Amino acid sequence: MKANAEQTKNQTAVQTSQESAWKHVTSFAVMIVLTAIAFAAVATNLVPSHLLVPLLLTLAAVQVVVQLYTFMHLNQKGSGFPVAFMASGIFIGVISAVALMILV
Amino acid sequence: MGAGNHATATTGLPAHPEKATFEGKNKVLGFWLFLGAETVLFACLFGTYLALKNSHLGGPTTQDLFEIPLVAAATIILLTSSLTSVLAVLEMKRNHLGRMQFWFGVTVLLGLAFLGLEIYEFVHYVHEGHTFTSSAFGSAFYALVGTHGSHVLFGTVWITTLMVQAAKRGLNLDMAPKFYVASLYWHFVDVVWVFIFTVVYLMGKVG
Amino acid sequence: MGTIVSILVLVLFLTAILTGGYNKKFLQRVQGSNMWDWLTTVDHKKIGIMYLGAGGFFFLIGGLEALLIRVQLFYPNNDFIVGDTFNQLLTMHGTTMIFFVAMPLLIGFMNVAVPLQIGARDVAFPFLNALSFWLFLGGGIMLNLGWLFGGAADAGWTSYVPIASNQFSPGPGVDYYVLGLQISGIGTLIGGINFLVTIINMRAPGMTFLRLPLFTWTTFVTSALILFAFPPLTVGLLLIMFDRIFGSHFFDAAMGGNSLIWQHLFWIFGHPEVYIVILPAFGIISEVISTFSKKRLFGYNSMVFATILIGFLGFMVWAHHMFTVGMGPVANAIFAVATMSIAVPTGIKIFNWLFTMWGGRLQFTTAMKFAVGFIPTFVMGGVTGVMLASPPADYQYHDSYFVVAHFHYVLIGGTVFGVLAGVYYWWPRMFGHKLNERLGNVHFWLFFIGFHLTFLIQHWLGLYGMPRRVFTYQAADGLTWINQVSTVGAVMMGVATLVFLYNVVYSRKSATAASAERDPWDGRTLEWAIPCPTPEYNFAQLPKVRGLDAWWMEKMAGNKELEPAEPLQPIHMPSSSYRPILMSLGFFVSGLGFIFRTIEVGVLGLVMVFLLMFTRSFEQDHGYHIEVDQIKEAEKGA
Repeated sequence: MKANAEQTKNQTAVQTSQESAWKHVTSFAVMIVLTAIAFAAVATNLVPSHLLVPLLLTLAAVQVVVQLYTFMHLNQKGSGFPVAFMASGIFIGVISAVALMILV
Repeated sequence: MGAGNHATATTGLPAHPEKATFEGKNKVLGFWLFLGAETVLFACLFGTYLALKNSHLGGPTTQDLFEIPLVAAATIILLTSSLTSVLAVLEMKRNHLGRMQFWFGVTVLLGLAFLGLEIYEFVHYVHEGHTFTSSAFGSAFYALVGTHGSHVLFGTVWITTLMVQAAKRGLNLDMAPKFYVASLYWHFVDVVWVFIFTVVYLMGKVG
Repeated sequence: MGTIVSILVLVLFLTAILTGGYNKKFLQRVQGSNMWDWLTTVDHKKIGIMYLGAGGFFFLIGGLEALLIRVQLFYPNNDFIVGDTFNQLLTMHGTTMIFFVAMPLLIGFMNVAVPLQIGARDVAFPFLNALSFWLFLGGGIMLNLGWLFGGAADAGWTSYVPIASNQFSPGPGVDYYVLGLQISGIGTLIGGINFLVTIINMRAPGMTFLRLPLFTWTTFVTSALILFAFPPLTVGLLLIMFDRIFGSHFFDAAMGGNSLIWQHLFWIFGHPEVYIVILPAFGIISEVISTFSKKRLFGYNSMVFATILIGFLGFMVWAHHMFTVGMGPVANAIFAVATMSIAVPTGIKIFNWLFTMWGGRLQFTTAMKFAVGFIPTFVMGGVTGVMLASPPADYQYHDSYFVVAHFHYVLIGGTVFGVLAGVYYWWPRMFGHKLNERLGNVHFWLFFIGFHLTFLIQHWLGLYGMPRRVFTYQAADGLTWINQVSTVGAVMMGVATLVFLYNVVYSRKSATAASAERDPWDGRTLEWAIPCPTPEYNFAQLPKVRGLDAWWMEKMAGNKELEPAEPLQPIHMPSSSYRPILMSLGFFVSGLGFIFRTIEVGVLGLVMVFLLMFTRSFEQDHGYHIEVDQIKEAEKGA
């Protein structure tokens, strides 16, 4: 009974690892696609100019969130404080960057 | 030592070896906090760049200088290195020293390739008259992109150092947090690059 | 070239001696000595005392600088200290007091008290803790080198460009400022991370967040402020260093730069910085008032909430230092409203302190006097802050003595009174005896009256039009008697400080074995539950915490000791290390290299730091254990 429970836990541990490899490759593919869209938007002239910069920034933001949550494992439990502090850092960072841009 | 998770029969390491010890938990949390601080640091460099990017004083502008193919290549290289580092950590959790070393080795090589491209790029810009001291735009560009580049360099040295240590000592609950934290750093460096290629290069091309 | 050769020879020589190459016995004697113990310690209790000692030392320097300023301003057209020397005095006074007095004193208390308050044996990263201290000290020494070599910084503690750039400040002064603050800033950032991880990960069983003592809560929020506020300063200092030393053009308008960038970066740091120096003082006040009212802190949850809100809002208001630069009415209005809103959570705190005292059994020890003196003084500083927060009014107040009066009221009335309350309160915890109460009484009254005499009248000085940062005024201005009253007050504060120094020496001399009470104030929090002097390992067994004011709860339940949460077992302790002081030395040498434009030396210093880090990575020192019989021995002695 106990051996079975151990074995299942082992399998789960290995299984989780095996699943995650493909999950990470999938996330990587998503990031490549987001990057490609961004480059394409600039290289071709298909996006109206007043939308271009917001689009680029949105694509970047989405890619960063994907990296944080998958590659950097913020989707695992026990990530409460890292998420809170990263979010605060991003918040303060954005305010500082925008202020420097428009208030000088 | 060893709170909670016990070693599994298959891998020989607990499920999350980087957080299995007290020191490991502290190191991982501490590093995330450091990344929060680095976020604000880079944000300030971005803000300075955005404020000064048009002050090229008649010299070469962002539209003149930046070449998309080169930037695309550097981006793919760094993005791939981020993938290889996460694969390395996966192998670390499975206690496969050799495979982990392989993936980290690829990460380091890709990082060096990125740096090589960047140095080539900077040398080219200097020839075009775009230097650290040629204008405020020049100063801001090299401060931002140069700081990022030095972070990449530091990361390659760091990961290489850890690979040397692991080769001597193997994988254990002391090495695991070190590799995990170095990998977090590497991902963060790639995250910053996402914003650099977007804000500096792509938006620079748009004008 | 010659410099590099000399440095290399020196390094080789030192390495030969320190690795026992020359004389093993000498090395062993050094390593057994008391001095080596302090130089290489990673123990938070010792590091705390070092921070307090260094901060106290810099307080004397900063105080002397202030007295010299006030002597110069005693007469119109006085020629005691004029021109650039005066500018150096005022710059160094401000910079020293904020960075090398207020911060280390508060961080010293965080080191002394926080691990004990949460029931932990040390901070999360003891090695980094030591490194933080030595970096702070290195930076402080670097800043003050200017007095000896080439002239001190003279562009104000805010070091605005273009006055701080090469064109208008050609000497090494501003470089000492830039590199000194950069070095100590790294130390502070590391310290912030350290306390955050300590409080999050190392609380004793049962010590939930909402059972933390207020001083620990304020340390937590302050550390978060440090984490996010120091990077903008780092960037600003880096940019000004690049402009001064490497010819870049971030702030040079002629080459496309913009001097407002410095102001934004400095104040995005600078405003949270003043919350960094006030919040821990608020924490000390909460501890002292509740202890000496023999009553639990009123409105604990709202105190926590107010602390967090102040921390958050503190990042949203920085441009109230820049109302007059021309950002426009919309920006000014936004920052004005945000600034005024900070008065709300601050007011919550003030009322909670008053309600704590109401109905309590008040004991006016010296610590309590400073805490109670803090309340009206800080409030006065706060209300002038709200006056300054209105942009149209600020156009009149800006750069006048009204601003000087405001910030001295909040800094001295807030931070200094808080620190002094903490000194008298925690002295027995650190040194095993109390400071003399009669001398403390004299210290308090001289300092309190002297302070108000110095700064109350400066509000009118500002309203009558005297600008700040000027070395003289004219007899016809009618400002003479005000300046003279202010100077007399400053001298009183100086005398008060001398009384305090005497108290330190006197109390130590008259301390007996009997003075080593473990709980001299009948305290409420965990740091009073352990033997005196504090054992190396803090708690023989980590305690189980049952509620807020954990130690008071145990005492009210009739227990003489804390309930242990673990069996008596060998205690793991971290090893000491010589690396922190050497790494700080490396940064120091590097800084000097950059200041004196010898880039090779600058790089060499950084290489030294890097090598120390690199070799540390290969170390496998896991500390040592204190065995059970040693623990029993130590506990018996208390």
